[in-house]
Amino acid sequence: MNFFRQHHFQSPEPIGIPRCLWYFLHPGLWEAFFCELGLPVVQSGATWRETIACAGLISEAEHCLPVKIHDAHLHQLAEAGVARVFVPRVLSTMPRHIACPKLGALPDCAIAQFGHRLSVVSVELDEARVGLRYSLLELAGTLGVRGSQARAAAEAGLAALAAQRRRWREQTGAMGEGSGRRILLLGHPYNLYDPYVSDPVTGKLRACGADFSLVDYTRSRVVPEPLKWDACSLMYNALRELQPSACAGVIQLSSFNCGCDSMAMEFYRDRLKRKGIPYMRLVLDEYEGRAGLDTRLEAFVDSIGW
Amino acid sequence: MARLAFEPWGNYSLALAASVECLGVEPWTSSSTTPEVLRLGVEATPDSACLSFKACTGHFVKAAQEGVEYGAMVNSTGTCRLRYYHLLQRQILRERGLRLFVFNVGYDGLKPPIVRHFDPDLPHFLQCCLRARLKVLTVDAIEGAAWRTRARELEPGATTRVMKQCLQELGQARTTRQIRAVRRRVGERFGTVSLAAGRSPLRVGLLGEAAVLRNRFLNHNLEEILGSLGVVPRNFFLLGEEIKNIFGVGLWSRHSRFTLKRLARPYLRSPVGGHAVESVGNAVACAREGYDGLIHVCPTGCMPEISVRPIIRKIGRDLDIPVLECSFDEHTSHVGVITRVEAFVDVMEQRRLRSGHHGKNGSSA
Ligand code: SF4
Repeated sequence: MNFFRQHHFQSPEPIGIPRCLWYFLHPGLWEAFFCELGLPVVQSGATWRETIACAGLISEAEHCLPVKIHDAHLHQLAEAGVARVFVPRVLSTMPRHIACPKLGALPDCAIAQFGHRLSVVSVELDEARVGLRYSLLELAGTLGVRGSQARAAAEAGLAALAAQRRRWREQTGAMGEGSGRRILLLGHPYNLYDPYVSDPVTGKLRACGADFSLVDYTRSRVVPEPLKWDACSLMYNALRELQPSACAGVIQLSSFNCGCDSMAMEFYRDRLKRKGIPYMRLVLDEYEGRAGLDTRLEAFVDSIGW
Repeated sequence: MARLAFEPWGNYSLALAASVECLGVEPWTSSSTTPEVLRLGVEATPDSACLSFKACTGHFVKAAQEGVEYGAMVNSTGTCRLRYYHLLQRQILRERGLRLFVFNVGYDGLKPPIVRHFDPDLPHFLQCCLRARLKVLTVDAIEGAAWRTRARELEPGATTRVMKQCLQELGQARTTRQIRAVRRRVGERFGTVSLAAGRSPLRVGLLGEAAVLRNRFLNHNLEEILGSLGVVPRNFFLLGEEIKNIFGVGLWSRHSRFTLKRLARPYLRSPVGGHAVESVGNAVACAREGYDGLIHVCPTGCMPEISVRPIIRKIGRDLDIPVLECSFDEHTSHVGVITRVEAFVDVMEQRRLRSGHHGKNGSSA
């Protein structure tokens, strides 16, 4: 047995990563991890108008928009000749929480829809039960890498994740920082951090001269009450601590057909009503109602008296 | 006597009513939603909520308006929206100034809050629950007979009439012996309906979300539409099996969650939530059992069911069984449903002609 086995892939087959949905839950992690394993990574292009059009054509009509976009990205990778893709099974991203049920079925759906063109590499991410590091080691194992190289890859991945999250946080600053009241933007990471989705909103807010922060995905203490869905619970916890003196209003970026948000928004609304903070929910759909979006944002900013 | 409202579960409502009675409260329910109740529900709930939630909330609003004091809502510990129904319903009722307290009925220890609150005499309560279970099984027997008979009845409506009669008798049955007697008479009762001779009818499995599968109003009476087209439906939401699953008995039965999970495994490895695994498992099982088609039924946007739709479609392709996907919301048109089902029946006919096989006898449905 060779204890110092260095793992060399004969001709490492590149691995495709769709740059959407779960990719934003662990930003930066996957490229760093696969690179360290010595696997070439092919990323799908950023979401664009064509991606949305493609999503409308090839995906199940009643999926929420992000899952549709995910299908479009997989399609794009398959078209680009990538033979295998990575799609994790996300069951939870936070202790004591669960992820949206749709994420758990993604690898199976990827196989059902693209199985004839792509092979799917997957790993279960259930941070309510096992830490991310273990899941990464397991993934390395299924790719045939063990020992120190796997550990190094996991470390590199986690470091990249932490760095990227820090960068996100610095980009807009936290609530309560700086002077004056700010607007808080709520939304799942794949809505807030996907430029195609969020740029029209943040751009408009900047144009109106409004200060805003994005909800902080680095917060560590999240109580799973009353919501169990990870991202929704995190947002609810953030709202719970919100001070009317520091917050001028809350805007939620939600996606068409998002099941979690359809329930969670009622909890947000109730909480904010009691605090007397104005709240607006913007639903993004595939039909590009951008003009309506601008008008609504303007009206909201006006109404809170910026 | 205080009253307790619960959401309609089709013909099972009758059995559930029996178990509510033994809590010492009067049940307030019906076998299906009415247009008025749905309207109330749609008004009270957010737009993007699912149809089951709208219908169920509508029931509680209506009940509260009629002065009912309590409501009971199943509470899954699962991953889908059902988990938050009772919380939102409490909030909605509170905001409208309605006084109806919604209990959540779920895995809450041996003595859930609802039992603790009404504190019935325990032996009597357990006995009543057993009786309710017997009623559930009898409902299954009645429905099974109705599905088989309706597809071949000569006089339209005869089956429905007999079925109503049986259900009425079952509703009135109080003792175990009476319930058993009703069950024994089912075959004889349906035997009075005259049947058309000929080849065995098409068989189709109905899978998907429980509330819509079981609420005739929400699914536009799919079972009767199919029956009138000469097709034997089989509804795969079976309350008896559900109860067995909860208590973990009957692991090896065809309908147990354990078996269905095993069948679903080549296609679906995640538990997803709701009845998604059961739907996938049943799809595989139906294809193997020689069904002529599948209808996947759920509310529009249902999180677990929609997320496995591509998988069910794939099973349809792999195992060569036609699948009709039916999503329902408050805007679904009745005529549209009928047209789609008719077209689907044509597809199944064609397939049978093409493959030249005549299916198994409908009696095993
Ligand atoms: S949380 Fe909402 S948007 Fe995200 S995957 Fe689930 S249903 Fe879709």
